[in-house]
Amino acid sequence: MKQDLLRLRQYLPKKMIDLRTLGLIILSLILWDVVISPRAAMAQDAAAPGGFLGGIEAFVQGIVDILNLIFYFKIGGENGFPFIVLWLVIGAVFFTFRLKFINIRAFKHAIDVVRGKYDSAEDEGDVSHFQALAAALSGTVGIGNIAGVAIAIRLGGPGAAFWMTMAGFLGMSSKLAECTLGQKYRVIKPDGTVGGGPMYYLSRGLSAMGMAKVGQGLATMFAIFCAIGSLGIGNMFQANQAFAAVSNVLPFLGSLSWLFGLILAAIVGLVIIGGIERIGAVAGFLVPAMAVIYALACFWVILVSLPALPSAIGTIITTAFNPEALAGGAIGAIVVGFQRAAFSNEAGLGSAAIAHSAARTDEPVREGIVALLEPFIDTMFICNLTAIVIVLTGVYADPTAADLDGAQLSAASFAQVISWFPYVIAVAGFLFAISTMISWSYYGQQAWTYLFGESTINTYKVIFLACVFVGSVVNLGPVLDFSDIMALAMSLPNLMGCFLMSGLIARELDSYMSRLKSGEMLPESEPARSVVLK
Amino acid sequence: MSWLKKESVLVPIDFSELSYQAIAPAKEFVESLSSLKLIHVLSPLHPADPAAMWDSPSDDERKQKVKKFMSEKLSEIGFDNISIEVAIGEPTGQIVDYAAEIKADLIVMPSHGYKGAKRFLLGSVAERVVRLSPCPVLILK
Repeated sequence: MKQDLLRLRQYLPKKMIDLRTLGLIILSLILWDVVISPRAAMAQDAAAPGGFLGGIEAFVQGIVDILNLIFYFKIGGENGFPFIVLWLVIGAVFFTFRLKFINIRAFKHAIDVVRGKYDSAEDEGDVSHFQALAAALSGTVGIGNIAGVAIAIRLGGPGAAFWMTMAGFLGMSSKLAECTLGQKYRVIKPDGTVGGGPMYYLSRGLSAMGMAKVGQGLATMFAIFCAIGSLGIGNMFQANQAFAAVSNVLPFLGSLSWLFGLILAAIVGLVIIGGIERIGAVAGFLVPAMAVIYALACFWVILVSLPALPSAIGTIITTAFNPEALAGGAIGAIVVGFQRAAFSNEAGLGSAAIAHSAARTDEPVREGIVALLEPFIDTMFICNLTAIVIVLTGVYADPTAADLDGAQLSAASFAQVISWFPYVIAVAGFLFAISTMISWSYYGQQAWTYLFGESTINTYKVIFLACVFVGSVVNLGPVLDFSDIMALAMSLPNLMGCFLMSGLIARELDSYMSRLKSGEMLPESEPARSVVLK
Repeated sequence: MSWLKKESVLVPIDFSELSYQAIAPAKEFVESLSSLKLIHVLSPLHPADPAAMWDSPSDDERKQKVKKFMSEKLSEIGFDNISIEVAIGEPTGQIVDYAAEIKADLIVMPSHGYKGAKRFLLGSVAERVVRLSPCPVLILK
């Protein structure tokens, strides 16, 4: 027996053993979180849900404190810039300048591509540009668009909304960079489906530049952060705020967060374990529909209070630059704005590149250009509308509403103008949260597969569902902190790789844009389309 | 010796070299190639995979592509016209079900295969097939 084990050890590459050990550590940490700590709490007092849920919360807080030390050390003293946020800002600014404001230059072309003007059935890949964008958007447009903005305004003042918009604008360029790489280094599998994303472009792209070791290291690092990060940004935060939005209109649920958590976990479980594949298509239709309804409601609120609009926009802009606006000063607003924007539109995190890799095209840059619409739609458009509604209605500044945060603050703001709108927010929030959770379980699963192979995927799914429950029962504070850190940590290996390959991205982009201008890339002609119809 | 020959022998293929190498020993047990059946098991797509979301490629298209991919590879290594089945699901269950469906007399497979897919890692699929198979299983070393 012992001999067999020794022999087995020889077969396993060393890296694999390390990864497995690491996986076990992470796993046991999470298991401790969901299994052991609640049990300890239950032994104390089985009747009080506070003890049971409090134990979980204390543990999440414990992890957050350790992670804070690693990723959040502040550069420039007490009120300085947290390292990881600065990293994101640098990434977004760098690519905006390096790619010469491609977010403005290629905007119209992006819309043309999404409208199908350049689609060709003969190219490799799974879905059209429009379909890939819709799939990626169902991951980005989450409850963050409703709740995240409110959180930003609560923490950083109305000025944070300005910086969110700015972050969305600059993030368009980093999104283009990562999605171009995602397309370029994707893998087409024998069944025709595509494998892509940072794991692929970090390892394959950097190894093509003679940095195979670095590439593999960054890819592994990304996969670890993504597998864990998917449990925060794409899971616990969504579950938490979905509960906030729903219990806001169904007050009897307030003390039944565990029940909500179980129901939510059951729904998500039906999809990701039960394999109800078609739900993806349903989400692909429902999420855009909800987004449109939500945007129309925002416009309605704005229209009703039109005279106050200029002063609301004025408040957002002046507080963005007014250092006395809040405790953290202007830097506080910038930090909060960039953080919430990245959290919402995922620019720089690399996750969306996984979905965008599936687009059918032979021009990697083309899908990158499509991807730059994502931060625009998500942050500059939807988040901004939420922000204007919150500032316009003034609920955030009302001292009697000081304890409202996240989804509840947004709901209260809408209720000023449309009394029944909190119900719409509850439904929209619930749907956004579910579709985002399903999308992120896909991203997390891809990362998990990269680390541990396909045979252990069910382990990941079980952890994911446990976290849906944890997210529903724990308070916003620790959930938000954990989600933030793990999501932003993904930008560390991802942007590092993008920086190293920025020369390549710029060259590919220049070549694409010059071919586009010269007219040699004319939209596909009609005969080619008739082939598709047959 | 022909009374020893088997009517139907199944070889699961996971695209690894080792699994293709199992075809030759499996051939020893049959009279003609037509008694040899191959199966490849695809994993189901995640519901949020853009391909699953828009049903493009559909399951049938995925199966067709894999069949084409496999028959090209097979004719490269000198096996033309072997029947290929492509299933979608969990590998062990699909292999065992198909073995029962075609009334296989024997399943031939390597103890562990493809590192990239890590599916046969530690021979776990082979191990489970042995446990659940309706017929004898020959594990190659």
